Amino acid sequence: MSKKRFTFLAVLLIAALLFAACGGGDTEMAEEPAAPAQEEQAAEDTEEAAAAEEESEEAAAAEEEEEAAAMSERTGAWVDEVIAIEEPSAAAAVTRMDLAEIDAYAFSISDAEVYATVQGMDSLTYSNSFGVYAELTFNPAGPIFDGTGKLNPFAVPRIREAMNYLVDRDFISQEIYGGLASPRYMAITNAFPDYARLVDIVRQLELEYAHNPDKAAEIINEEMEALGAELVDGVWNYEDEPVEVIFLIRTEDERKEIGDYVSTMLEDLGFSVVRDYKTASEASPIWIGTDPNEGQFHIYTGGWITTAISRDQAGNFDFFYTNRGLPFPLWQAYSPSEEFDAMSEKLDLRDFTTMEERRELFGDVLALSMQDSVRVWLVNQLGFSAYRGDVSVSTDLAGGLNGARLWPYTLRRTGEEGGTLTIAMPSMLPEPWNPVAGTNWIYDTMLIRATADVGAMPDPFTGLQWPQRIDRAEVTVKEGLPVGSTHDWVTLTFAEQIDVPEDAWLDWDAVEQQFITVGDLHPDGLTANVKSVVYYPGDLSELSWHDGSPLSLADVVLGMITTFDLAKEESAVFDEAQVPSLNNFQSHFRGYRIAQTSPLVIEYYSDQYTLDAELNVANFFPGTPWHTMAVGLLAEAAGDLAFSSDKADANEVEWMSYIAGPSIEILEGHLESAAADGNIPYVSTLGDFISGAEADARWANLSAWYEDKGHFWVGNGPFYLEEAFTTEKTVQLIRVENFPDASSKWEGFDTPMIAEVAIDGPARVASGDEATFEVMIDFGGDAYAVADIDEVKYLVFDALGELALTGTAEAVEDGLWQITLSAEDTAGLESGANKLEVAVAPLRVSIPTFSSLEFVTTN
Amino acid sequence: MTDAALPLQPDAASAERPRTQSTLTRVVHYTGLRMIAMFITIMIGVYLTILIANMGGHVDKIRRGYIREQVAISVGFNEEFKNMTSEERRAHIDKLVALQEKRMGLDQPFLLRSFSFLWGAMTLDLGWADNMSSDSGSRMVRNIILERLPATLLLFSTSFMLNFLVGIFVALYLSRNYGSRLDRAIVGLAPTSAAPSWFYGLFFILLFAALLGWFPFGGLVSAPPPDSIVNYALSVLNHMVLPVIAIFFSSIFLGIYGQRTFFLIFSHEDYVDMARAKGLSDRVVERRYIMRPTMPTIVTSLALSIIGLWFGSIVLETIFNWPGLGRLLYLASNIFETSVIVGSTVVYAYLLGITVFFLDIVYALIDPRVKVGGNQGGQA
Repeated sequence: MSKKRFTFLAVLLIAALLFAACGGGDTEMAEEPAAPAQEEQAAEDTEEAAAAEEESEEAAAAEEEEEAAAMSERTGAWVDEVIAIEEPSAAAAVTRMDLAEIDAYAFSISDAEVYATVQGMDSLTYSNSFGVYAELTFNPAGPIFDGTGKLNPFAVPRIREAMNYLVDRDFISQEIYGGLASPRYMAITNAFPDYARLVDIVRQLELEYAHNPDKAAEIINEEMEALGAELVDGVWNYEDEPVEVIFLIRTEDERKEIGDYVSTMLEDLGFSVVRDYKTASEASPIWIGTDPNEGQFHIYTGGWITTAISRDQAGNFDFFYTNRGLPFPLWQAYSPSEEFDAMSEKLDLRDFTTMEERRELFGDVLALSMQDSVRVWLVNQLGFSAYRGDVSVSTDLAGGLNGARLWPYTLRRTGEEGGTLTIAMPSMLPEPWNPVAGTNWIYDTMLIRATADVGAMPDPFTGLQWPQRIDRAEVTVKEGLPVGSTHDWVTLTFAEQIDVPEDAWLDWDAVEQQFITVGDLHPDGLTANVKSVVYYPGDLSELSWHDGSPLSLADVVLGMITTFDLAKEESAVFDEAQVPSLNNFQSHFRGYRIAQTSPLVIEYYSDQYTLDAELNVANFFPGTPWHTMAVGLLAEAAGDLAFSSDKADANEVEWMSYIAGPSIEILEGHLESAAADGNIPYVSTLGDFISGAEADARWANLSAWYEDKGHFWVGNGPFYLEEAFTTEKTVQLIRVENFPDASSKWEGFDTPMIAEVAIDGPARVASGDEATFEVMIDFGGDAYAVADIDEVKYLVFDALGELALTGTAEAVEDGLWQITLSAEDTAGLESGANKLEVAVAPLRVSIPTFSSLEFVTTN
Repeated sequence: MTDAALPLQPDAASAERPRTQSTLTRVVHYTGLRMIAMFITIMIGVYLTILIANMGGHVDKIRRGYIREQVAISVGFNEEFKNMTSEERRAHIDKLVALQEKRMGLDQPFLLRSFSFLWGAMTLDLGWADNMSSDSGSRMVRNIILERLPATLLLFSTSFMLNFLVGIFVALYLSRNYGSRLDRAIVGLAPTSAAPSWFYGLFFILLFAALLGWFPFGGLVSAPPPDSIVNYALSVLNHMVLPVIAIFFSSIFLGIYGQRTFFLIFSHEDYVDMARAKGLSDRVVERRYIMRPTMPTIVTSLALSIIGLWFGSIVLETIFNWPGLGRLLYLASNIFETSVIVGSTVVYAYLLGITVFFLDIVYALIDPRVKVGGNQGGQA
């Protein structure tokens, strides 16, 4: 090739790159203001300007009124379009948000440096989430390992318990996590309701197990000597060899620093620590896979995550401390005291009848868990979801932005409507989307939620539910079960016995394709622990799917059918992977019954219950229409595709994707044949709910939808999927204009009303005098309504640091509560400095707020 | 003289026939042996990859542990399972774990599976992935790799061609202008190639994306991707600028320095001096006496570099969020998706084998000193 050609090509390529750089960029975000020209004109003629000003003011006012009117009339999402993109780096996402390239980052960031950066940026804001926690997992086997013949000090409960004193949780929270964590002492999370319910017990235990390295050393020395170990030149020896502690330290996050910190503490006590740094996949076969008696590890830096607020953490003790927790060798090595074991099980099985009984049981189990300490809890990690300051959106207290079910209903540019917002997420579209067993990737789930409506909306701040497509619900619970209710949309009643009607559907005959009733299977009758009756509003057909098809009862019933049919061996769409789920479901399921069709009323019977009536409401509002489900069912039955990855792998066919890839062509083929045949799935049953005309209309709608969008993802949420760009990692969601609800429906759910608490009272109290303290509770400067506060508890720690008094404050008015310590109370306090600690448990959020005040008692 | 010479003609002809047959036989023999050797080498390489990627079967242990952990946690924290007794929960977990292990083939011993992997690999049946899907949702390893290939090829072939063309052009120029300011500058800048492309990438992102806002931070195309092909292409080009420049800067100076030195060595050969002494023009000397003997080296470098594009660049693609093979392989390594790792390696091994095989032939075509097969081959 000649020199000229070389030159030409090189110049051409560079020119192309430069041209692209100049011409292919994104459009400018803002235009230059034209204000200066207006000012000049105003200076020329003030009268005209004044008149013009008046006119413009009037026009502006009219415009504002129009806008306000329009805003109040707006339905569905606040924004017209959401663009979701991938941005793996949190630091880069923050920079891009500052540059207004993206508006929100759907990831719970836990990097202290990034946190500090965000806090220092005026353009950004953030919301916190609390679902991640870290601990030390101990190997309790031994005290002599069978595999190595070496000593395992952590087989001794007292040594494990002493580790609570050894670790400084404040240091870990502040120094290792840079303030993005709070100390955690036990198996319950301080942002969830049980912590607030038990705050007096928990605070006392926290005080008891506060950092005290001398006490830790004393106990450990005593127990090591009892084991026959000897301290030689500051090093513990057992049978003339140094006592070695193998510490499996996870390397991906702050647990590496925690591992190093604890290792150093143990080395200072005389242990020889082997720091075995491992990633999750490297550590898992050791701490989960090996027999603890082999002695392959002594301690592991464990970490756990909860992506939704758990309103009942009573089962945590059975899970974390007993061999019933998991079927792994480590769990099988747990041998809690008989008392602890029995109480944990009782708590887990909800073997109590009142909340007071539960509280007492809980208190005992908390104390016993600290004595057992096969885990030493360290911190509740604080994550944060960052977004631009001009954006408001609902975020979940446990799951952050990506965990909030309400995000598509609340996302907006503050005070504005319409426009496009860009949300970035660390990773997206790794797996296919399908309505049965498609992706469960957390960030894809976030997007899917925008496309499907729900019957009941989870409250992002309390974990309870609010009605979305439910008019009201009645919950009947068997007498003696500790269930309570908070919201008035649920009516809670108790009954001595709940009989399941004999015409309720209990199972599915996959051959006859018909439901099997309670009467067929239980001629002598069947009872349940809970009955939930849900009243759906108005006519379902007033609601529509994204392809324009009206909702119908068939959409509801198909969901009920597939729950069973996919797991029935006789079914054409049998999937072995669905069997365990069905088995589990059937272990507590006692029947469905469609009590009324218009308006729709569905009864549901179950033996499973939760402590909150709102969470016992079973709703069947569909998120997928029967006709798109039917296309997938046809492809599955033909063996062309499979809903689940398990079946896809087993049959060596593609895992079904409704949005892209090789599945689309196959689904298209089935759509064509279904449309040609006027297919009605499960016609023996659904034939009663779907007319031929309706089927034809649905197939026509889906064909038109597919023609237009090129995918089969049809939902009923506030956004529809315009397109998923799978290689480019971009998803485009467009607002559904005819969504039935006002955009303002979920206003008030963008900021958690975490109470702000201050205490005022005397600094000095004479022993034997009555003392009154005022507790001011507000949120953002506004008084917190008394009706929104569940309880205000107080604890008084005396001069010796002992818990001397507990009680509840009295409400005076909104935002003001009062604590009165009687003369008798103060007389019982030691002279010296006391601490009054107040815990406020609001109803609007699950997080209690603490505040304290010191006062001195004198004789 | 003429008569005396005539009888030699038939002899010469008859002597040439066996020589022609001999060359053909030699070439076929040589080609056959090379193909067999190449196939065996590929097979050994692929099997070693299977063993290494699976850590000799240890990955099975890791996967089992991981499956148990994931299943247990998902069941343990699911409210749906709260009302199960601990025995029921355990049985449920065991069932789910067994299903997953069966799905991943972990119910069979690794040794057995390793040979089935090998057979699939050698027949280019790359099979199905256990935990990864292609961007469009396909589980076929072939699709997973092929969907990422265009992005990698686009980015790295553009950078490579830019480097190659600019490198050759500037190196030739410098070899003619040895000791010039530009030459000294390039020599001085050569050590900057010690920094990898991702280092320049980070630097350029900070400068041109974060500070100046001239180019995007990363990705393949703007979001949402433009509808028209022209705008789409322009957007892709816009997104390519920073990574291409990063790759260019990380290797261009050292590349020019190396090639310029290479050309300098050849331009001082005796036969080049002789050509110059004969009064041939610089262009002719350059083309016939300098470029031609360097062709085998350039072609080898070109061919190996082109197939080297196959793996992309893990770090560069990651920092630019470029949906290429490098990131794919990184992800596959992280989740022990050995089918994708082995699949990529198999294709690379075949490409390498075929390239090396054809290079032998190409050498013989472009360099008269090289002969295929026989003892004479390779003698210069």
